[in-house]
Amino acid sequence: MKSPQPLFAFSALALVAGAAAPAYAAGTPAGTVIATAATASFSTGTSTTSITSNQVSVKVDELINVTVNPLTTSPVAASSGPATLVYQVTNNGNGNEPFTLTALPNVSGNAFNTTVQTVEYSTDGGATYTVLANGAASPALAPDTPIKVQVLVTLPATATDATTSQVQLTAASVLGTGKAGTLLAGKGNGGVDAVIGLSGGQGTGTASVVASLATVALIKSATILDPFGTANPVPGAIVTYTLVASATGTGSAAGVVVTDAFPANTTYQPGTLTLNGTALTDAADADAGTVTLTGTTPGISVALGTMNKTTASQTITFKVKIN
Amino acid sequence: MTLQKSFIAKALFAASLATLASAPALAADAVALKGEPILLDKVVTVDGKASHTLVDPSITHDKVVPGSHLVFITDYRNNGAQPAENFVVTNPLPGAVMLADDGFGSFDVSVDGGKTFGKLATLTITDAKGATRAAQASDVTTLRWTLASVAPGAAGKLEYHGVVR
Repeated sequence: MKSPQPLFAFSALALVAGAAAPAYAAGTPAGTVIATAATASFSTGTSTTSITSNQVSVKVDELINVTVNPLTTSPVAASSGPATLVYQVTNNGNGNEPFTLTALPNVSGNAFNTTVQTVEYSTDGGATYTVLANGAASPALAPDTPIKVQVLVTLPATATDATTSQVQLTAASVLGTGKAGTLLAGKGNGGVDAVIGLSGGQGTGTASVVASLATVALIKSATILDPFGTANPVPGAIVTYTLVASATGTGSAAGVVVTDAFPANTTYQPGTLTLNGTALTDAADADAGTVTLTGTTPGISVALGTMNKTTASQTITFKVKIN
Repeated sequence: MTLQKSFIAKALFAASLATLASAPALAADAVALKGEPILLDKVVTVDGKASHTLVDPSITHDKVVPGSHLVFITDYRNNGAQPAENFVVTNPLPGAVMLADDGFGSFDVSVDGGKTFGKLATLTITDAKGATRAAQASDVTTLRWTLASVAPGAAGKLEYHGVVR
């Protein structure tokens, strides 16, 4: 992940520069005085003379502009842990200004809404991040110096597999937001007037997560063999239970453990626990299976580990005798 | 200098005073160069239609910010009795201003701080590695107008447009 990111950041920057007018992207600092005077030289008769006009000047006021671009452009797969969405926030104004950074998880059209865990910013290109409260202000950002902001979100329990949810990040000028052209008298750097730019003093960007979840299905069946060679559930008959576990969905389920309690009035037949046709010892040891004969819920337990849709279905069998 | 010549000079001085209140006799002051207040091209968009007005931000308090279009006008007037020959006006472009794309033709530009002048299309930029490229409006550092002669009493305006970087 490390090496493609700077490349992407660069292309995103170029895109922004291409969309806006590139020539003054550097931005004349607020408070700069533009002063100019013309000089003329001419000759009258034999003498050459040089004269200079009066100096005219105008002061550059502060422009408040900001853009937010998602650096995470394809939905990030989210499962049990937090998913990280990365944005780039650029102060396109010409003064040093802080911006509040607010992550909004309930965007219209979302299949589900994530929970925002943290909002973090990085001024060193993503090497180190500082955690902010959601909606708190960043430090003052220098003009045209993008920072990275990452938002960590977690899925709600209601999320269904392969559905997506957008998370919107808004960067709003602490000085003020509003209609382009709104004057913020004396609020700019060094006390110059500030004017809200075309961005309205705030920018938004949207990145999304896709739920990557797995559903484990368990199918149980039983076959009976009575002492007379038929399939009647009479005392002394052996019941073979078969449990088939399989996973579906785009994600994976970690730490899958199948447990099954012995039915009342039955006795487990020692050494009959199998996984995919291979015998498992009853003892709690290196193999996946354990049989508990005492305690409140005597039964079997088989650890299947991580399962996803490509994992072959896992078949567990064990036998009990009807008392 | 003889006494007679001195008298002539004084007579000329008196004559010019009579006709032009503020013009002293020296040739240097006979031609006036005056920078007009910098104007802002104020764009007001109503119902999708943009209308431009030129305003003096020092009077209207309109804000000049990066991206603002500015109009710079310098007036010249020959108040003297003699034509000013080979009248060359140079105007360094303020560092914070980029020459706007319009308004070429009446003046030459320099992209090297005023060492050489020419039409923008003919100028090139050499970068640190020795590669050259065509100069662009954003490279212009200095403007120059050349008038062969400004007759006594003649006046005019030299105008250029810039964009705050």
